[in-house]
Amino acid sequence: MFRFDRRLLFNFDWIMLLAVLLVAIMGLTNLYSATFPGSTYGISPFTKQLYYYVFSFGLIFFIISFDYKQLITWNYPLYVCIIFLLIAVFLFGGTVAGTQRWINLGFFRLQPSEPAKLILVITLASYYYRKDTGKGFTLQELFVPIILTLIPFVLVLKQPDLGTALMFCVIFISMTLFVKLRWSTLAILMGTCLTVIPIGWKYFLKPYQRQRIETFLNPESDPMNTGYHIMQSKIAVGSGHMVGKGYLKGTQGHLHFLPERHTDFAFSVWSEEWGFAGCLFFLACYFFLILWGLNIGISSRDKFGLLLAFGIVSLIFWQAIINLFMVMGFLPVVGIPLPLFSYGGSSLFTTMLGIGILMNIRMRRFMGRTTP
Amino acid sequence: MLPIQQPIVKIKKLDEDELAALKKRVDVATTIIIIFIAVLIARLWFLQIHNGSKYEKMAENNRVRILDIVAPRGNILDRNDRILVTNRPSFNIIWTKEDAPDPDGVLKRLAHIMSKEMTYLIQKIRASADNPRHVPIRIEEDIGWQMLAYVENSRFKLPGISIEVLPRRDYLFNNLSSHIVGYLGEINKNELNKLRWDNYEIGDQIGKTGLEKLYEQSLKGEKGRHYMEVDARGFEQRRLKGQKPLPGNDIRLNIDLALQQTAEKAIEGRAGAVVAMEVNTGRILALASSPPLKLEEFVGGISSKSWKSLLDNPLHPLVNKSIMGQYPPGSTYKIVSALAALSEKVINTESVLYCAGSLSFGNRRYGCWKKSGHGAVNLKKALAESCDVYFYQVGQKLGVDTLARYAKSMGLGNKTGIELQNEKGGLVPTSAWKERKHKEPWQKGETMSVVIGQGFNLTTPLQIAQMTAATVNGGILYRPQLINAVIDPDGNIIEEFSPVVEGKVSASKRTLLFVRKALVAAVNDKHGTGGAAKMENITVGGKTGTAQVVRLAHLKGIPEEKIPYKYRDHAWFTSFAPAEKPEIAVTVLVEHGMHGGSEAGPIAKEVMTKYFNRETETEQPALMSGL
Repeated sequence: MFRFDRRLLFNFDWIMLLAVLLVAIMGLTNLYSATFPGSTYGISPFTKQLYYYVFSFGLIFFIISFDYKQLITWNYPLYVCIIFLLIAVFLFGGTVAGTQRWINLGFFRLQPSEPAKLILVITLASYYYRKDTGKGFTLQELFVPIILTLIPFVLVLKQPDLGTALMFCVIFISMTLFVKLRWSTLAILMGTCLTVIPIGWKYFLKPYQRQRIETFLNPESDPMNTGYHIMQSKIAVGSGHMVGKGYLKGTQGHLHFLPERHTDFAFSVWSEEWGFAGCLFFLACYFFLILWGLNIGISSRDKFGLLLAFGIVSLIFWQAIINLFMVMGFLPVVGIPLPLFSYGGSSLFTTMLGIGILMNIRMRRFMGRTTP
Repeated sequence: MLPIQQPIVKIKKLDEDELAALKKRVDVATTIIIIFIAVLIARLWFLQIHNGSKYEKMAENNRVRILDIVAPRGNILDRNDRILVTNRPSFNIIWTKEDAPDPDGVLKRLAHIMSKEMTYLIQKIRASADNPRHVPIRIEEDIGWQMLAYVENSRFKLPGISIEVLPRRDYLFNNLSSHIVGYLGEINKNELNKLRWDNYEIGDQIGKTGLEKLYEQSLKGEKGRHYMEVDARGFEQRRLKGQKPLPGNDIRLNIDLALQQTAEKAIEGRAGAVVAMEVNTGRILALASSPPLKLEEFVGGISSKSWKSLLDNPLHPLVNKSIMGQYPPGSTYKIVSALAALSEKVINTESVLYCAGSLSFGNRRYGCWKKSGHGAVNLKKALAESCDVYFYQVGQKLGVDTLARYAKSMGLGNKTGIELQNEKGGLVPTSAWKERKHKEPWQKGETMSVVIGQGFNLTTPLQIAQMTAATVNGGILYRPQLINAVIDPDGNIIEEFSPVVEGKVSASKRTLLFVRKALVAAVNDKHGTGGAAKMENITVGGKTGTAQVVRLAHLKGIPEEKIPYKYRDHAWFTSFAPAEKPEIAVTVLVEHGMHGGSEAGPIAKEVMTKYFNRETETEQPALMSGL
């Protein structure tokens, strides 16, 4: 049963590991500055995040220890578990600033909506792999994945956490467009979206969510409240100039002008202190990691592996894009962290699990050949 | 070792056609990703390189400041809602490091305007050197109108300097009830650590003693904040909307302003305490400790010189003597002894014992205060004339532990539970206590001291007041209460306190009534010791007491006025009125006052007189408005 295959060691994905380490080091360096001089009480966010990193590297080694193909049998049990956790948030979750997002485990506050994203990716990949006939999906065949996406979407929307909820839709759309759709299906879906969005705006968004989007469209109207965050972030990024103000010397961050500077606006701190040059280096490492993930998908030579890799890559990519666009003033403040870079255990664990799966796929890219 | 499990599901490999089709899709995805990267880089270029200087300027010049607005603390009111303590606006000169381009020049000009030495300013700045750059440092607090005008006029020569308007505690009756109210001070590091979730910041005022400390959470209110845009020189560009501060809750005391004033006035110039309490509820009408604290000295930080002189003052103004001062109860303790003796039936109301001026016990002579002796004495006469020899004999029959049981049932030896911190519980000695504390067995002779309230006994004036009230109200021990209600800024009562019964005196109604009558005799009989408290229209009852400070042989025979102050006896008087249906109990202690009757008695009388003539009310002084 437990047969050790030496080829796995040779095929270990050192490139991905290196990319993750680089981003992690940048993230931790930046977190130290964002929380500097730090609190004298309790464990500082920096130390906590360091622990989270150590633990999540452990997670990677755990996840690569078994074949990713088994996920296809585990997807529904995992899915049911996470839905229960999302419901549990309402029953036992702590309320922070009027939202219920966390389950307090004592030593760690778990935000189940984070792993839910990854589990949705696994579930959709399994479903699409099983049902794919090569002729393209019809609307009836899409019914199940739509329901599978809508359940966590609604649960997270009710927390309320619009940003994370929208991520479920983004994952669904990305993965569904990636598998073959019939043109008629595509047309109908687009039509539905165009009608649903205005209705959703009117009836489902909370007033504060609507206000965020409105001030985004016209930021000068209200410089102190919702527009304040975007303005301050833009000032932070812009004032970084070519090489930045220097490590630990960013005024916007250290004088508390930046909100959420160690979580959602972590990249503002980075831009302010390291400037355009630092940003380019960061983006190079980060997007190398993403493109490498896509490469892993195509080199896996099985459709499940490819779907899985594509889903994970799109999960990381879209979160990064939304976060960076928000930081640079292209999008309203939606509360999406920059994976691997922002402070937060749940998000980090989820991303690292995803990366673990990518490395898993990479390691086993030749495995199928011996048993065709 | 990596355990490898066989996949349960067979995953089929892609064939070449399918792979080619999927590769195309991946290529599309890669293209999309690269387009996004390009957009990101373009945006970064636009923000950081193209508009970098503009944003740099914005970061430097156009800062939005969030400033806290201190909430006015709640008022402290007397029982009739007359304001004792409130707030008034005060003006402080502050300096923000971050905004100051030329600190030396600015400070030099400021020193000139203030006509102060430069070193004075530097000293002030050094004291707050740890503050973050953007937190202002207070250079001078509560400046007068004239200096305010000078500084305001020179604002443009003084970048970084500004005027801060803060609510400041205003003590409308100066030092009235200073020990109850307590003083404020700047929050220190310890308190900041403890209260870190409560939105406190460096420089905030916080209650340090008294009710200001105990009711800090209720009084402090909720800070507001305003947002303002300032330029690099610290000038306000424009003010943006913010939140208004929420004033703190008011606290309504049970204290009666007029009675408190009378009590403090009556004991002025001496060290001591006055407690006036409602007999049937335990509500405190007046609670004075002399000398009072000068509360104004503490606002904005007391100077170390003033603090030292407070510590060195032989009259101990920092101690709230009504609850923290522990004194032997002296003859006021005979109330306890009498109740114990009657309840234990070691004597009856008619028992006659003989006082020859002293009593020999063992190889010692125990004297009565009246050296010629009282002759044949019954209990009523013994209480009225405070005969020591009578009680020596009663004490021998009772024993110290029985006596202690009665004392404890009257609240002695325990904290009363009044709403003030650092209350002392006093001491009721027992044989077990002595064994534990001094590792020696109890001596019979020591009972002789204890039964007349000397020796190991320790009580606070508040305990004696509580005991007196319980004796005359039918035996119910009420908890003394200072606070009547907590009232929110809109005038709604948030919390109201009703009387709390702490226990019952172990004596029958008849016994209590007998003792009460004897105490009335102590004030009203020809030979009673409490004659100084006698009033015309109201019948007063009471008990005098003299608490020995030292028992030195070499003081014997020295004329009283030659005895050094610190060796003089403390004077007690505890009283109640009206005799028929008691309403108020008043207890007075004068430190080193020597004679309970003549020193403490008149003070009690003044308070009682005021209580029964309450029509002449003190008027509310005009308030400074504007905050």
